[in-house]
Amino acid sequence: MSKKTYATAIRDVIAEEMRRDENVFVMGEDIELLGGIFGCTRDLYKEFGTDRIRNTPISEAAMVGAGVGAACAGMRPIVELMYMDFTLVAADQIINQAAKTRYIFGGKAKIPLVIRGQQGIGRGNAATHSQSLETIFMHFPGIKVACPSNAADAAGLLRTAIRDDNPVMFFEHKALYASKFEVPDDPDFCVPFGKAEIKRTGKDVTIVGSLLYVSRALEAAAELEKIGIDAEVIDPRTMVPFDMDTIIESVKKTGKLVVVHEAHKVAGWGAEVVSEVVDGAFKYLDAAPIHLGAKACPLPFNIELENAVVPSVQQIVEAAKKVCYR
Amino acid sequence: MAEFIIMPKQGLQMTEGTIMEWLVGEGEEVIADAPLFEMETDKLTITIDASAGGTLLKIIHGAGAVVPITEPIAIIGEKGEDFSGLLNSIGAPAAPSVVAESVEPVQTEEASVGIAIVKAPRTGRVFASPRAKMLAEEKGIDVADIDGSGPEGLIIEKDVLDYVLNPAQKTAATPLARKVAELENIDINEIQGSGVRNKVLAEDVRSSASVSQTPIQLVQQLDEELIPIKGMRKIVAERMKQSLGEMAQANHRITVDMTNSVALREQYKAVGRKVSYNDIVLRCAAKALTEFPMMNSSWTSAGIVLKKYVNMGIAVAIEQGLIVPVIKNIHLKSLDQISKESSELATKAKENRLQPEDYSGGTFTVSNLGMFDIDGFTAIINPPEAGILAVGKLAKQPVVIGDEIVIRMMMQLSLTYDHRTVDGAPAAQFLKRIKELLENPMLLI
Repeated sequence: MSKKTYATAIRDVIAEEMRRDENVFVMGEDIELLGGIFGCTRDLYKEFGTDRIRNTPISEAAMVGAGVGAACAGMRPIVELMYMDFTLVAADQIINQAAKTRYIFGGKAKIPLVIRGQQGIGRGNAATHSQSLETIFMHFPGIKVACPSNAADAAGLLRTAIRDDNPVMFFEHKALYASKFEVPDDPDFCVPFGKAEIKRTGKDVTIVGSLLYVSRALEAAAELEKIGIDAEVIDPRTMVPFDMDTIIESVKKTGKLVVVHEAHKVAGWGAEVVSEVVDGAFKYLDAAPIHLGAKACPLPFNIELENAVVPSVQQIVEAAKKVCYR
Repeated sequence: MAEFIIMPKQGLQMTEGTIMEWLVGEGEEVIADAPLFEMETDKLTITIDASAGGTLLKIIHGAGAVVPITEPIAIIGEKGEDFSGLLNSIGAPAAPSVVAESVEPVQTEEASVGIAIVKAPRTGRVFASPRAKMLAEEKGIDVADIDGSGPEGLIIEKDVLDYVLNPAQKTAATPLARKVAELENIDINEIQGSGVRNKVLAEDVRSSASVSQTPIQLVQQLDEELIPIKGMRKIVAERMKQSLGEMAQANHRITVDMTNSVALREQYKAVGRKVSYNDIVLRCAAKALTEFPMMNSSWTSAGIVLKKYVNMGIAVAIEQGLIVPVIKNIHLKSLDQISKESSELATKAKENRLQPEDYSGGTFTVSNLGMFDIDGFTAIINPPEAGILAVGKLAKQPVVIGDEIVIRMMMQLSLTYDHRTVDGAPAAQFLKRIKELLENPMLLI
């Protein structure tokens, strides 16, 4: 095990996978000399050259389109988007090409493509550079979606993503890059997709959160413990496939559910979790589940206002108290 | 929000009341603290004031209706408000319902006269969380038996677990039944329920509180008239039956030479102060009661309650029946005061102006039928008292004094006492002491 930042863990996995498989290469903006604005490809051009660590023009549609083509041709491209907000520029390439090509060609074409980048709050990057968009890509069959909440998961999930023969949207969080975590040294360390992690066991209420909201849910759980509420915190880790079974089993135990995410609440993935839990554990529910998400407001530039739009630790605590009738 | 107005409880013995007249019509405005309706209860007609304002949406029980305490009699709310749910809720007593935040009906004689308003019982469905339902099913419990602690009375898992742990709640009963039982001071666990799965309904509690709800059937075939048993007649009947049913009543009689008491009365008269023979009897009985405290006690399930004060009831015949106003703390009062108060109470009784506090809290009663030329009689104890003194007529009689037959003013006293509390000898001593005081009224000084 080595203690690494989230950013370093990602960089190391890219390097290891490029060493292991010469078909793996990276495309993105300013990833050569600069090493990407968050340092996820820092110095990799020195080892792998600028053929495999390739700078691209500012054209996300072209980058992703080239990635789909390369993947069809047998390569294993990693496309780094500087901000995952820009997936919307490449939406056709992602949703209509990457997600559907294998299906359209009856399985004859594989798309081993990883589209990775960061999203979310934390830097006051304003309305078009701070969104949380994982929900959007859960909607279309054919794409896997990963959301690592710590360095170890970032490493294990990214390795799984690179080795997967299907397109994977890999949502990192900008506020987590500097966070440190023990990461296994095993060069084959993979975290399977579709396997949630119970971050904290508890008996009174199930709190589900991902990315930045795993640590916030754990903070809330610590607050709740002080007033005698024993919270179970679950990180789904991948949105597609989604490990609903672990959550349903947890709710069967606790009878209460709070789902929290940074993405907008309206039609956010938390609603899907509530729907599935109501379906799968209705008679075990002792209270109506609560779904928390960002307000229906573009993310503000002002960092204080940014924080006001997304759910706070205190709001998670209050929601948990409410479902516990406290 | 529309709310029920319920039959208020006026005094400890009251189990039902008769509505005499609504002073506000349906659809009319109810003004707080203004008269709302007249009712007959505990031997009197009382005007009840509204405790809150609003619109009288519906009169459920009109004039003449006999309604048990805590039963809804009307609906008050905002003008035009829909109260059909509320109305339906009382049509189906088996449906689980909840009394939310009832205003405690008046329970003590000191309390002011006001109406009790009960918020709407929850109608129809019982709401329980799916988890609470699942758990209740596993444990074989009907969720309708459980009180919900969640929002709007939602039954949650914790309530089921508490119910399983708390045997005091085991008797299946509607929340309304529990409330009525609480007001009536009845142990709900001893009531046989008539609802689904023997659930105790409010009706069961009321009937166990011996509030009969037998419908009145008119008999027409013979030249007979059926008088509905209600109001004062019903109360007197129930209390007399209760008295004879519960107590071991025994009786002593004694003849008193009233010559000296007559002289005393004449002396009072000579100085322009008017006292009656009955006032002198009351004064003597009060003094004797302080000396024989067991005669001034109440038999209760907890034990014999010895009262250190004497509240003397005076039976007064009135047009509608009988009423017993009470002179409070008579043992501390002079003959003048007793005379003044007894005459005031008698006047108020005849004019129907007695308030509940005027006729409750008695510890002993004196009943005088001398004015009807009755020699002597046996009275029935007014529960929960331990004795009653019946006074016959005052008349000249030939009496043997020494070896001579002389004419004296004589009067017969008859003491009925509760033999559970007082044995024959002390009861005899008590009666003899009254005789002694009446024959030697200077002992009162």
